Amino acid sequence: MANVLDIQGLSKRYGSVQALDQLSIKVPEGSIYGLLGPNGSGKTTTLGIVLDVINASAGTFQWFGQPSSKSTKRRLGALLETPNFYPYLTGEENLRVTADVKRTDHARIPAVLETVGLAQRKDYKFKGYSLGMKQRLAIGAALLGDPEVLVLDEPTNGLDPEGIVEVRQLIQQIAAQGKTIILASHLLDEVEKVCTHMAVLRNGKLKAEGPVSSIMATSDLVFISGGAPLEALLQIARTLPFVTEARQINQQIQLALKPETDSSELNRAFFAQGIALGQLVVRKKSLESQFLEIIKADSV
Amino acid sequence: MTSLLRIELRKLLPYSTFWVLLLLQCSLVFIFFYARGHILINGKMAGAELYQFPKLWMHLTYISSFLNLIPGILMIILVSDEYTFRTLRQQVIDGFSRATLVQSKYTVILLLAFLLAAYVLMLGLGFGLYYGENTAGTAVFTDAQYVFYYLVQLVGYMTFAMLVAFLVRKTGLGIMVFMAYTLVIERLIHWQTPDAIDKYFPMKVLGALTPSPHAEMEQLMLGITDVLTPLQALAPVVLYITLFCFLSYQLLRSRDL
Repeated sequence: MANVLDIQGLSKRYGSVQALDQLSIKVPEGSIYGLLGPNGSGKTTTLGIVLDVINASAGTFQWFGQPSSKSTKRRLGALLETPNFYPYLTGEENLRVTADVKRTDHARIPAVLETVGLAQRKDYKFKGYSLGMKQRLAIGAALLGDPEVLVLDEPTNGLDPEGIVEVRQLIQQIAAQGKTIILASHLLDEVEKVCTHMAVLRNGKLKAEGPVSSIMATSDLVFISGGAPLEALLQIARTLPFVTEARQINQQIQLALKPETDSSELNRAFFAQGIALGQLVVRKKSLESQFLEIIKADSV
Repeated sequence: MTSLLRIELRKLLPYSTFWVLLLLQCSLVFIFFYARGHILINGKMAGAELYQFPKLWMHLTYISSFLNLIPGILMIILVSDEYTFRTLRQQVIDGFSRATLVQSKYTVILLLAFLLAAYVLMLGLGFGLYYGENTAGTAVFTDAQYVFYYLVQLVGYMTFAMLVAFLVRKTGLGIMVFMAYTLVIERLIHWQTPDAIDKYFPMKVLGALTPSPHAEMEQLMLGITDVLTPLQALAPVVLYITLFCFLSYQLLRSRDL
C-alpha cells in the first residue's frame, strides 16, 4: 500500500535543544498511526513540521508522494496542540472561517457540529466553551472538507472520560471509512486501543516503529536467582545466544529472551554449566513497562 | 482577493474592538476639523477660511493625518490577535501560504484606507457645502486629489503597522514600538541626517503626502526644510509599501508559527 506520509531524516533544533533528531517514518495509507512519546519528545514538533507551520532544520517529507502544497493541505484535516479559534466568534462562525480558508462548502457545517456534539451550542461564543468543547470544535474543524487524512495532536486532551470514549469511537468510525489517521499521544493506552501502527519517540529520537502488534509483542522477562553468586549468573547469562539482555536488579538477575524462546531452555543451559537455579520466574510484561522500556532504552 | 476579503470580513464585522476604534477615528477626525474651524483668530472664525473649496481639501487631509496612529494601532491589534489566538498557524495548516496571510491583512488595510478616505471625502463635502461660499460646480472637487494622497498615506502607515505587528507579535509591545518609531526615533534620525537624505525616510515621505497648508509661513519661521511634494512622494511611498509587505512575508517565512 502507498504511503500517505513519508518523513526522511527530519531534524529540528531550538537553540541548544535538539527537539527532533533524524526522524524517518512512513505512514501507510488507511492506517491509524500513533505517535507515542512522553511530553517534550518531539511529537508536536514533528506534526508542526509536516503541517508546514514549523521550519525543519534538516530533512524532508512528502504527503501523498508530493512536497507539501496548497493542494496536499486540502486533503488533510488537522488539529495541532491547541484548538485555535477566534474567541469572540461563535462555534458556527468559527467553522465558517475555517471552511472558507479550506475552500470547502458550508453545507457540511451542521453535520460536522452534530458529529462532534456541538449542535446545541453552535451559537455560543468560543471563549465561553469548556476545554472539552473547544477540543471538539477543533476536531469538527479538522473534519470539514472531508479530508483523506486526519492529523490529531492529543485529541482527547481536556476531555472527560465520556468525551474520551466518544472521540475514540469517532476516530475508529472515521478510520472505518478508509481514511488515514495520524494521532499523537502520550497515553499508551490510547494508542494501544485505537492505533494499528505506531512510532515511539523519546528526546526527539525514534525508538521503535511498526505495527502495534509487533512492537508490543516483545519477549517476556525472566528473573533468576540462586545456585551461584549473582555475578556468575550474570556472566553466564550474557554468553547465552538466546538472551538479549541481562542485568542485576535487587537480588535477582533480570533477563530478556529472544522471541519464541522457552524458559526451560534457559534452565537447561544453566544446568549444563553446572548450576541448578534456585528460582526462575517468568513475568509477562505489562504494556506500560514495555513502553517505559522502549523509551528508556537510550542505547538504541 | 475577494475570497480573502470575505474571510477577513467574517472576522472583522463581529469584532467590537474594530468598531470601537473605527468610530473613535471617525469622531476624532470630525471633532478636530470642527474645532479647528471654530477657533477665533482676531475675532474672526478660522473656519471661514478653512472651509472654503478648494483649500479645504488640503486642510482636512492635513488634520486627518494627525490621527493616523489610530488606524495603525487597529492594524497592530488585528495582526497580533492572530498570533494570540494562534489562528495564523491554523490558517496555514488549513491551506493558506505565508504569502496569503500577508495578502489577507493587506486586503484589510486597503478596505480600511478606502473607508476612511471615503469618510474624509464625505466630511469635506459636508463642511464645504455647509460653511463654504464658493460652492459652484467645478471648484468643489478642485484639489480633491489630496483625499487620494491621504488614502495612500493611510495604506503606508497601516502597512508599516502590519510589519511591526508581524515583527513583535504582541499587541502592547507592538503599539509601543510603532509609536516610538513614528513619533520619536525617526525624528531623532532626521535631526542627525541632512535634509537631502532624510526627506526620503518613511515617516517623512508619508507625511509629505498631506503637506501643511501653512507650509510657507512655517518655513519662514522655522527655516527652510527640504520636503517632497505629494506627487514626488507618491513613488517612494509605493516602494515603501511594497517593501513593508515583502519584509512581513520574509518574517513569516523565516520563523515558526
